[in-house]
Amino acid sequence: MKRRDFLKYLGSGIVGTGVGLAFGKVTKPPGAKLIPYLIPPEDVIPGVATWYASLCTQCSAGCGILVKVMEGRAKKIEGNPLHPVNKGRLCARGNAALQALYNPDRIKGPMKRTGERGSGKYKEISWNEAVSILGRNLSELDKNGATEGLYVLTSTLRGHLNTLIREFMSSYGSPNYMQYELFQHRNLIYANRVSMGLDAIPHYDIANTRYLLSFGADFSSTWLSPVNLSHGYGEMRQGGARRRGVLVQVEPRLSLTGANADEWVPVRPGTEGVLALSIAHEIVAGGYYKGADASSWKELLSGFSPEHAARVTEVDAGRIHHIAKEFVKTRPSLAIGGDNLSAYRDGLSCLVAVNILNHLAGNIGRKGGVVPNPAGLLKGRTGTELRKDRITALAKSALEGDVKTLIVYNTNPVFTTPAGVKLERALRNVPFIASLSSFMDETTAMADLILPSHTSLEDWGDDFAEPSTGVRVATLMQPAVSPVFDTRGAGDIFISLAKALGGKVGERLNYKGFPEYLKESWRKIYANNKEVAAGALTFDGFWNRLLEHGGWWQTEEPRHKPRSVSVRRVKAHIPTSPSEFEGDEGRYPLYLVTYPHAGYLDGRGANLPWLQEMPDPMTAVVWGSWVEINPKTARKLGIKQGDLVTVESPYGGIDLPAFLYEGIRPDTVAVPIGQGHRLYGRYAEKRGVNPIEILPVAEDKRSGELALNSTRVRLERKGADGKLVKMGVRTEELGRGIVQTITPEEFERIAGKEEA
Amino acid sequence: MSKIVKKVKERLRDFRRPGYYKEFEYNWTMVIDLDKCNGCEACVVACHAENNLPIVGKDECSKSRAFNWIRIERYVEGEFPNVKVKFIPIMCQHCNSAPCELGCPVYATYHNQDGLNVQVYNRCVGTFTCATYCPYDVRRFNWFTYKWPEPLDQQLNPDVTVREMGVMEKCTFCIQRIRVAKDRAKDENRKVRDGEVVPACVQSCPTGALVFGDRNDPKSRVAKLAKSPRRFRLLEGLNTDPSVIYLKRVMKKSGSKKHGEHG
Ligand code: SF4
Ligand code: SF4
Repeated sequence: MKRRDFLKYLGSGIVGTGVGLAFGKVTKPPGAKLIPYLIPPEDVIPGVATWYASLCTQCSAGCGILVKVMEGRAKKIEGNPLHPVNKGRLCARGNAALQALYNPDRIKGPMKRTGERGSGKYKEISWNEAVSILGRNLSELDKNGATEGLYVLTSTLRGHLNTLIREFMSSYGSPNYMQYELFQHRNLIYANRVSMGLDAIPHYDIANTRYLLSFGADFSSTWLSPVNLSHGYGEMRQGGARRRGVLVQVEPRLSLTGANADEWVPVRPGTEGVLALSIAHEIVAGGYYKGADASSWKELLSGFSPEHAARVTEVDAGRIHHIAKEFVKTRPSLAIGGDNLSAYRDGLSCLVAVNILNHLAGNIGRKGGVVPNPAGLLKGRTGTELRKDRITALAKSALEGDVKTLIVYNTNPVFTTPAGVKLERALRNVPFIASLSSFMDETTAMADLILPSHTSLEDWGDDFAEPSTGVRVATLMQPAVSPVFDTRGAGDIFISLAKALGGKVGERLNYKGFPEYLKESWRKIYANNKEVAAGALTFDGFWNRLLEHGGWWQTEEPRHKPRSVSVRRVKAHIPTSPSEFEGDEGRYPLYLVTYPHAGYLDGRGANLPWLQEMPDPMTAVVWGSWVEINPKTARKLGIKQGDLVTVESPYGGIDLPAFLYEGIRPDTVAVPIGQGHRLYGRYAEKRGVNPIEILPVAEDKRSGELALNSTRVRLERKGADGKLVKMGVRTEELGRGIVQTITPEEFERIAGKEEA
Repeated sequence: MSKIVKKVKERLRDFRRPGYYKEFEYNWTMVIDLDKCNGCEACVVACHAENNLPIVGKDECSKSRAFNWIRIERYVEGEFPNVKVKFIPIMCQHCNSAPCELGCPVYATYHNQDGLNVQVYNRCVGTFTCATYCPYDVRRFNWFTYKWPEPLDQQLNPDVTVREMGVMEKCTFCIQRIRVAKDRAKDENRKVRDGEVVPACVQSCPTGALVFGDRNDPKSRVAKLAKSPRRFRLLEGLNTDPSVIYLKRVMKKSGSKKHGEHG
């Protein structure tokens, strides 16, 4: 989309750049009731919307958004049509960010703990007091020569907030800055490094592929960059090409993406790696791979004949052969792996196997294949750094008394780690905890001091999307509205801390506030990078354009640099046997599969009522959680739809209603992640259960990713009323021809007659 | 007085003449490509945000009183492992011979000159007739006056009426957005351009399954898509003449197994 069209798109609206343009200044006294326009601000015209281009932070995809603001209030979020990641589109979670901003259960100002830890008793204090309490604590550490006792734990941050915290920590003298959240694609990044020498996530060009082989990656709901990949999916299906792209999904439980696939391969849980290598075996054995190292591949894969794989995976040998042939013959093709695949104990190796498939079929560095991204404008967390950020390591240090002070921002590890990590106990051992959360969640409840930060619609920031789309993408975040409560930006909090501390830190971070820091950092990028600066004569002109467009990105077609996977590299990392599951097979006969809920993701969306009442895409369940059971299995156990069932692993049990689902293997049950908050506001609290609680602590040694599919369970019927509420009554068409279909063959006959 | 009544009656008769809207300037149409839609529900939440739909909570949901102007239906066929799932977004079909319009005793629901089926909230007395007549089950009734706790109410869209207890409601094709575009076009002395009206669901849809526009404009995307050999309309046999056109999902016949496709 051109800039002119962009303005047209906004229609009667105005493009806004920074709330009230008052840089770093709050235009409305926070917490005060707004007196409606006794003296109207100059840029507010009643009834006319102002649109601010900004960044979505509901997941780590980094989509560009436009926020519609009327009379100083945010009304609607839409995708930024200029933005290369989401191309003007938005997912359900992105839409619901408004309800994070206006959530009635936000923490309304700084607070100090007065009761026992975890008792929830707090006293309101002023920002000055809050900052000085934390400042004094850090000075004390410094005086005792214990600066290394300061730990900072944040969500995945890639922009200048990350740089700022890094500078803060290094000048203060602590190496202990960690980024941790449940879904960080650690296995994927590591697998790419060991197999392709790429310490990053590439762009998966679904739009242009004709055969997509997905191992568990549910990009329609949550995986990687859902909007970008779903847009690609739409293009792959009906983008005007004569040949419609095919999707084959390999997973034991049919996900939303799987439900749209042309073929579902319900493989035995944990054996996907073996299946992938068996497909690779067939590619090499069939002579389709023409590389000079074909013979060493043959040798490496010799143990993965389809006959052997069929026994392990329960996928027919003929079918394996067929998939291999289609995969290598259909051009271009693409294999992806994620979510369910990555969640096994051996997930990393399984992902290596997927990379091998792409290599053997010649898909790496091709249009419609795997497109490695150019290095970003700003270095975020490198894979190597990320690997060190382990929540188990943090728990250990805390238990051993190494963590003196912990600052937590935008992540809720108490909710997202298995009970076995004993994180809560470990945190009780930390002398001082400060949380910068806007919400009272399970981790924040451990804090002695709460400095509530802005939500993304009130704050400044930036992001360098990973994966981007084969080109460099930088997205700017600007406040669309004045703060609703007495909160501050996370960056501002670190800068005022630096001021309170003085000394080296104070010198290093001598800025008025985070907006100034951000702008200065961009001034450097502007000065050092000709490509970015192109077309802007002055920095101010450039900055305004950044704010107007919502960022900067390359507009040319991605360059396709081939990369290869070598036998030598992957040898030590390929899966040789199925992934392990804990629990004795006799006592715990069923595999447990857990997956991020389409709305709540890792639990963060559970406090947004729109998402609670959004029917789950597959089950249509609202306001709760459930366990998916194959009807055959249920019948054997005397379980009916909606019954209350206990799901028990060697690590504990949870009670939840049964959902009978034909899309799951009879030897497997599945529970979504996201509900079961003890704390998190009125919409989330005491609703459903959190399956992470009953998982073993299974961390991949190489990447630090927590395995979510790692235990077996047993089921027991507890009672009749599990209180399962689902929307939509029927899932049968009853011959009414509601969703009409045509066959692919018919489609090929008529394709081309269609103009779009 | 009786003259006015007569005039109103004539006008209403006019409005009910099947196909009359084709003589008007616009004929708003939605095309939904079922081969693109992946059932992600982004459209559902976008609609909530735009149109001030209330949240009713778990208990009310269990009584089928949840508000969805657009919903995704899912059909699950077959048994493991031969399972086929099909999704379809369904909103008000803006029928051009709409059963609901015939029933309303107070003309709260009527057909406007753009071919839209509109609902006048302050005429509605809540007889439920329209919802009973609608074959697509798209109408939702306000059993209560739903309130947002502060400050969630600050999000409410000032361009859309907030409804109260006793009123029936349904998808409007985001008429507020159509209004803005038409007003602007009028000010600039031109017709609304193709792509100028983007309803909230269409705007959000990640896969690009939804397309909206004016079918009277032969160059519009919807006019072209409406000619697709994949086109069909929902429960076409009922002769409701909907303004929503679906494009068939491309899918293997269940039971037709290709080589190797088992187990
Ligand atoms: S995919 Fe992630 S970043 Fe994009 S709109 Fe959805 S939540 Fe926001
Ligand atoms: S947003 Fe688009 S793809 Fe998602 S359910 Fe709605 S119509 Fe389908």
